[in-house]
Amino acid sequence: MSHMTCAEFQQQLPDLFATRDHLIAEDSPRHRHLESCGTCSALVRDLEYIAEQAALLLKPVEEEPSDKVWKKIQESIEVERGSSTKGDTLSSVTVSAKPQLNPVKV
Amino acid sequence: MTENKSVPALFKRNPPIAGEAEAIELAKAGDPEAFSRLYALHKRRVYTLCLRMLGNVSEAEDMTQEAFLHLYRKIGSFRGESAFSTWLHRLTVNLVLMHLRKKGLQLVSLEETINPSEEDAPKRDFGSRDPQLAGSVDRVALERAVALLPPGYRMVFVLHDVEGYEHNEIAVMLECSTGNSKSQLHKARLKLRELLRQPEEVVDGSVKQAAL
Repeated sequence: MSHMTCAEFQQQLPDLFATRDHLIAEDSPRHRHLESCGTCSALVRDLEYIAEQAALLLKPVEEEPSDKVWKKIQESIEVERGSSTKGDTLSSVTVSAKPQLNPVKV
Repeated sequence: MTENKSVPALFKRNPPIAGEAEAIELAKAGDPEAFSRLYALHKRRVYTLCLRMLGNVSEAEDMTQEAFLHLYRKIGSFRGESAFSTWLHRLTVNLVLMHLRKKGLQLVSLEETINPSEEDAPKRDFGSRDPQLAGSVDRVALERAVALLPPGYRMVFVLHDVEGYEHNEIAVMLECSTGNSKSQLHKARLKLRELLRQPEEVVDGSVKQAAL
């Protein structure tokens, strides 16, 4: 039965996480090392937790840009379009703070 | 990244919004109200993506402006092969990457000798017995830690763990190998683990207890 060092195990982690097979075959040296090494099992647990929390905590939360962003967009577009014409122009349009959205189930 | 087999997963990540299709067609025809509606619908997502990739408000707002100006110029080329939000998302990512390259930032190198100094690089973890992280991290702490990551690490982490891109997609975006992408992601997570386990956190120049 081959024994794996912590260094050897941790060196394989980038690929193992990417292929989701770090929970693999029970008879493998990796699994045996994970079962017997508290440091590496804590490391794997923490790294998995960080990845999960990134998706759970960060992805759903969206920040709001300040109003000046839209103002600058309007100004830039007006410059690109030349002098304003009669009728609708971008500068006359205000962005509502809360767009009327109807949730769509996918 | 533009392979057809990736499209369904990306579409699922970014479902269509009611009224968006009409706004897109009108915006293509030059309707300013329609463009305004598209801005209102997507400004948070674009801005948040920029903020997480860049780590500061000022640059994030500049790049948000750039993204929508680019959208204004390019919307005529949107053909609907992917979801509009996916198309806009990808446009934003590419603009941010171009911006970082112009700043001279080497995001990923072939030898993985990326910008972090020895001080910033994650430490190897052998034989330590620190308390577990699971269950102790809140969103604010995680956001702060992500903002402290070196740019290259942060980029891959945000693209993979937050935005859900696969390594082959990230490799195309960052012009590196999938191996590099995996390695940088791993280092980013290791660094985050270090940051989140620190007993003290410096916030606005004062030292406060971290929420750990």
